[in-house]
Amino acid sequence: MNMKKILIIDTKAGNLFSLKAAIERLGFSATILQKPNNEIFDAIVIPGQGRFGTVMKNIRATNWPDYLKKAHQQSKPLLGICVGMQIFFEGSEEDPEVTGLSWFKGKAEALNFPKKPMVGWAKLTSKINSWSNAIVYFVNSYAIKQSEFSIASTTYGESFCAAIKQGSFVGVQFHPEKSSQAGSLLILQVLTARVGESQ
Amino acid sequence: MKIDSTLLTSSLMPRIIVCLDVDKGRVVKGTNFKQLRDMGDPVELALAYEQQGADELVFLDISASNENRPTALKLVTDIATHLSIPFTVGGGLKKLDDVKAFLDAGADKVALNTTAVLQPDIINQTAIAYGSQCVVVAIDVNKTDEDLKFYINGGRKVVEKDFNQWTKEVAERGAGEILLTAMHKDGTGSGFDCELTKKISEQVPVQVIASGGAKNEQHFLDAFNQGADACLAAGMFHSGDYTVGRVKNYLINHGLKVRS
Repeated sequence: MNMKKILIIDTKAGNLFSLKAAIERLGFSATILQKPNNEIFDAIVIPGQGRFGTVMKNIRATNWPDYLKKAHQQSKPLLGICVGMQIFFEGSEEDPEVTGLSWFKGKAEALNFPKKPMVGWAKLTSKINSWSNAIVYFVNSYAIKQSEFSIASTTYGESFCAAIKQGSFVGVQFHPEKSSQAGSLLILQVLTARVGESQ
Repeated sequence: MKIDSTLLTSSLMPRIIVCLDVDKGRVVKGTNFKQLRDMGDPVELALAYEQQGADELVFLDISASNENRPTALKLVTDIATHLSIPFTVGGGLKKLDDVKAFLDAGADKVALNTTAVLQPDIINQTAIAYGSQCVVVAIDVNKTDEDLKFYINGGRKVVEKDFNQWTKEVAERGAGEILLTAMHKDGTGSGFDCELTKKISEQVPVQVIASGGAKNEQHFLDAFNQGADACLAAGMFHSGDYTVGRVKNYLINHGLKVRS
């Protein structure tokens, strides 16, 4: 079997080392690109560091939005992490003047909890067997509170979307690359298009 | 404003953080004779603690010496390559370039202590460049005659600033977490300073990590019940007296929800 080739989009908003290492630990090859090229990849990861506005600006500066849209139409597995998931919504309270990619309705809003950022491990509530009760690592001050595409939630002051899925796109608010074995399993499922719902 | 997080629901679990002191590329432990005992390879020990169930790791003094900078950066990259839980590096980060170098090498967070006091703007600059989640401000506080003073330079130099004010200032400047080490508890084995942890945890809008004094599982239970968001320990784990898993089982048996 050929080694799966994973593309990591360089949003120029933080260190991608841990993410690359986590993907390579699964036995995949990982390539970090600053702009699209003609190479064929099996799956694409949109990383989650930096501010909403910065990530959006860097994504829009290239033709990543079209590239991603096409990949989604081709049912290629896409994994958006943290801000890398939020940018697919309409906007964020973090940078209200910036418009998101607007694939999904809704905005990232500030978490309603006195201590921010939310830092640490929390359990997921999900109807998907392998996601239900998984304990994963969160680092965020903003989140999508509700979405019709939510597949997992957790609570920090109030419930918010821990993960969404629409077609081949899966967005996670947590950091699977920092979530030990539990996170590795979820990355593997997403990148191999094996996120199955039991109901 | 007093922060009473207990009124709000949160799925966050109390964290157990293991601290490893690094010198010349090895994990070391100070002894009574101020000699350093070699404890092993940092990557191997880090993975062993991840296996035990540690939620995070902190590597201290990894970056202390300038001559060893390339070695230290390579070590951080090695750790990031193998470890799949978050880790912080601290000790000897003197300027923003140092902070950048270690974050770019793969560290998830930096712990700033002396540098934060001498150049407080570095907290703001790091938070702006990398986000608050990357900035842990470490505060070494000592209680003498009911008076609280905090120290820099590894506990050797007292700071002429108000301790309570400093905890608030670092949060305002963009620290994502405060690592609060009670020097009067360090090495005593009498448990964390729960009263102090509770007080600071209620007065700053960021998470507080309790450190100093842990010797057994009861100490963790006490600190978490008093409002510590996370607890850090070194000796009781390095000595082999306890595994992180054993402490977590104890916490679970006493009704706490921790990652297991």
